[in-house]
Amino acid sequence: MQNWLQLSMPPKDISTNGHLIDSLWNYTTMLCIFYFVLVCIGLFGFSYLYSRKRNKTPYYTYGNKKQHLLFTAIIGAAVFLTIDLNITRISNNDLLEQFWKWPNPATEKVLRVEVMGQQWMWSFRYAGPDNEFNTKDDVITNNDLRVPVNTKVLFHLTAKDVIHSFFVPNVRLKVDTIPGRITRVWWEVKEPGEYDIACAEMCGTHHYLMKARLTVYSEEDFNRWLATSEQLAMNTNDPDDTNLAWGWKWEN
Amino acid sequence: MKRLDLQSNLAMTVTITGFSMFFATLMMGYAIYRSSSTFWPPMGFSKVSLTIPSISTFLILLSSWFCYQIKGNVKAHDFKKARLNLNLTLVLGFSFMVAQSFFWSELKASGLYVDSGIFASILYAYTWIHAAHVLAGILSLVYLSIMLKPSDDRMLIKAVNVEKFWHFLGAVWLMMFLTLFVY
Amino acid sequence: MSGGFNEIHPEPTTFISKYIISFDHKVIAKQFLWYGILFLGIGGIMALLIRWTLAYPGVPFPILGPLLFPDSAGVVPPDTYAMLFTMHGTIMIFYAITPILIGAFGNYCIPLMIGARDMAFPMLNMLSFWFAAASALVVLISLCTPLGSAAGGWTSYPTLSTMIGSPGSGQTLWCLAIFLLGISSTMGAVNYVTTVITLRAPGMGYFDMPLTVWGLWLTAILNAIFVPVLGAGVMLLMMDRVMGTTFFLAGASATAGTGDPVLFQHVFWIFGHPEVYILILPAWGIVSDLLSFFSRKPAFGAKATALSMTAVSILSTLVYGHHMFTTQMSPLLTQSFMTLTMTISIPSAIFFANWLGTIWKGSIRFDSPMLFSLGVVFVFGLGGLTGLHLGTVTTDLYLHDTYFVVGHFHYTMAASVLLGGYAGIYFWFPKMFGRMMNETLAKIHFWGTMIPLNGIFFGMLMVGYGGMHRRIYNPFVYESLQRLIPINMMITWSAILMGAFQIIFVWNFLMSLKKGPKASNNPWEVGTLEWTIPSPPVHHNYDVIPVVKCGPHEFGNPNLKNGRDFQYQTEELVRG
Repeated sequence: MQNWLQLSMPPKDISTNGHLIDSLWNYTTMLCIFYFVLVCIGLFGFSYLYSRKRNKTPYYTYGNKKQHLLFTAIIGAAVFLTIDLNITRISNNDLLEQFWKWPNPATEKVLRVEVMGQQWMWSFRYAGPDNEFNTKDDVITNNDLRVPVNTKVLFHLTAKDVIHSFFVPNVRLKVDTIPGRITRVWWEVKEPGEYDIACAEMCGTHHYLMKARLTVYSEEDFNRWLATSEQLAMNTNDPDDTNLAWGWKWEN
Repeated sequence: MKRLDLQSNLAMTVTITGFSMFFATLMMGYAIYRSSSTFWPPMGFSKVSLTIPSISTFLILLSSWFCYQIKGNVKAHDFKKARLNLNLTLVLGFSFMVAQSFFWSELKASGLYVDSGIFASILYAYTWIHAAHVLAGILSLVYLSIMLKPSDDRMLIKAVNVEKFWHFLGAVWLMMFLTLFVY
Repeated sequence: MSGGFNEIHPEPTTFISKYIISFDHKVIAKQFLWYGILFLGIGGIMALLIRWTLAYPGVPFPILGPLLFPDSAGVVPPDTYAMLFTMHGTIMIFYAITPILIGAFGNYCIPLMIGARDMAFPMLNMLSFWFAAASALVVLISLCTPLGSAAGGWTSYPTLSTMIGSPGSGQTLWCLAIFLLGISSTMGAVNYVTTVITLRAPGMGYFDMPLTVWGLWLTAILNAIFVPVLGAGVMLLMMDRVMGTTFFLAGASATAGTGDPVLFQHVFWIFGHPEVYILILPAWGIVSDLLSFFSRKPAFGAKATALSMTAVSILSTLVYGHHMFTTQMSPLLTQSFMTLTMTISIPSAIFFANWLGTIWKGSIRFDSPMLFSLGVVFVFGLGGLTGLHLGTVTTDLYLHDTYFVVGHFHYTMAASVLLGGYAGIYFWFPKMFGRMMNETLAKIHFWGTMIPLNGIFFGMLMVGYGGMHRRIYNPFVYESLQRLIPINMMITWSAILMGAFQIIFVWNFLMSLKKGPKASNNPWEVGTLEWTIPSPPVHHNYDVIPVVKCGPHEFGNPNLKNGRDFQYQTEELVRG
């Protein structure tokens, strides 16, 4: 069982803010366990103490005495104050200070990537040397996302056909990609390596095969890869190939 | 027989609540399409002519007025007048349907089909759905007309319930007219 | 205003008018019960097929596999897998839980427990069943169409559920079936609401109603308000599929002017979140009553429980957005939905306190309905608490669409409702059929359900936290998920075990129907109105409409001197 608990731990957190989600999860779980233990003590304890055999005469009460009402009210208030208020507050703070604090490409160093989901493939687009999207020097990869370590990466996502969901378990983030809309997500990864990207929203028969590879490079490895790919893109991207023209003008 | 009347009345109110939620959902959809698009009607479309929808509105509102009379007539045991008002309601309701069908052929003539984008989809689908309910309303008016006889001591509640439903259809149309066409 | 239902309808004489086109609420309840149990079986087999695929991808399903999937040598193919989980959800929610909890118990209990001779509108009631039957027929037909039935998940989000993602008639028939079922549910709801308001026996105020009736009544109100919302949604979806409208199409797939796929999600969850409570409220009501009945003491804070249930019903209409955090609604909406969602835990905590308060210092009889009710308290505790992780936006970013969600809603909607439904069946079986069920088998059934059930759904919480997402045919194409194979195998074997124990229930049910010992009028020694009349009741229920003089939970009154420890609701409350 110990082993199973270890197995069911989420994959390694590689992002700079994923630990916020993990710690909130732990906090919520601890409190849930606390209250669930209370329920179990009541459930099993009362079942044992007050079975027909042990307790012949039940206590005749409607539970509407003052102390009963107070007790119920305290339970309600305790749950609200200890769990609800706290996790709402923590979650709100995390959202405002991290997850919704969108990096600004104009003022800081941010890698911008456009993502498109389609049945059943992820496509990624880097702006290329001209820093403009949807031009012929864009680097386009399929099911293969490469990002540098210790750099903020800002994604704008959409979908071509049906709704997909861009899910990277190792950074604890997930965002739906929706036809006709652009959704956003950003992260900063702190550990090089190879990780899974999945589609989390049912998108048809081969939904389970819609996975991509996330490669996190060191800064210089990434620059080397990007330079080679840009060169390759300039030489081989066919401007008349409509399949490559799925990008859009980046708007912050 | 007071209790049975109360039951029917209550049941009709609950039913109309359900129908209202149905139409409210449609209108919420419209509000979202409308508010999320920069232009309305969308590029390449123009507003539809108000002539026929205005006539439809006039017809259904007038029919509601005649429908409103029936209850009083039944109460006063004036069944001749009740039948007259009922028939007028029916005729007007029927003419509303005719006006709607003219509206659809006009849309078609102007090159708008149900599959030509969201603007046309809304115009057709919402008026169709409403018309289907009007058809049900007309059927209930016909039912009332068959049932209309002085010997029935539950006549009044039947008239009241059919009237409620008919007013509801008129109100829905008025809302659609104001939001889909005028605004 | 309560007046009691006074007419006595003539008893039907022919087979058809008695058992098929019946206007009698008791017969319609039984029709719904059989209908629900049938679909529970179908949905259960689908669940086993799904579980088998997840634990043993590429291995033929034993016994049934080669018969069902001869083309793939008994292995569930990926497209069929998608259809299976879609139809498992649809069938369990709309064709198993709804008919059993709302159709069967609603029809059976409401008139009997409030002292009425029938529903307010017996004919509407009959139509409600036959609309449901027509809907079931359409669903069964859809399973036989060439491309199979709907396969876009039970939520059927566009654009996957439009022609772009789901060609073939399966999804269209699904929409039609749901629409028909919506009509049936609304008819039932109109009937229940009216019946409870107008037909309560003289003397029965709202707080004298058993909590079961409270639960069913609130369910009916939510049904009447929110099922039409889904009706509008599937109507537009059907138009998108059949007539070429573009309500839910956007992006490359919409040619002129664009619709909005997310709108469907809003519409679906405006209905869908109350629907969760529509399904669970009857079970809450039944459990609140049974805990009191078998603890032999009054329900603790019955009024607070009823009001909490009402509060939850109202709140349930305001929180639906927590199903859509990952679609990136506006930050303001997201935060409001999170905060509103959290407030649901206050009324929930209150009725949990009341449930435990009810068994506190009781004199508990562990008959099978009581065991199942205690089971509901346990599993709903787990289900409700795991909801906190999902109602919080940041943790939901990770957990959304993983098996954690599946585990959570199965604990709340499947486990609690299933156990609550069994509690109800074991409890009212004597009244319905005039015979007792075998208690030993019932207890074996309880433990055989309760233990594997936690294996299944707790296992799902675990693999979900481990990162396994939903609705995937073969999770192990992801190397990082391969470590979860042993837990998945445990879940699957728990499911098989639980399925096997349900055979005991079916056996017990069928045998008791024929051979069970005759039940007395009041085998459980309970004071609500339905136990004052013979088991099974006569066609018109009450020869004389009862007059209610006390509440439904009068147990253990020390002033009682007549040898009973309970009072019928028709008796004046004994005071010291």
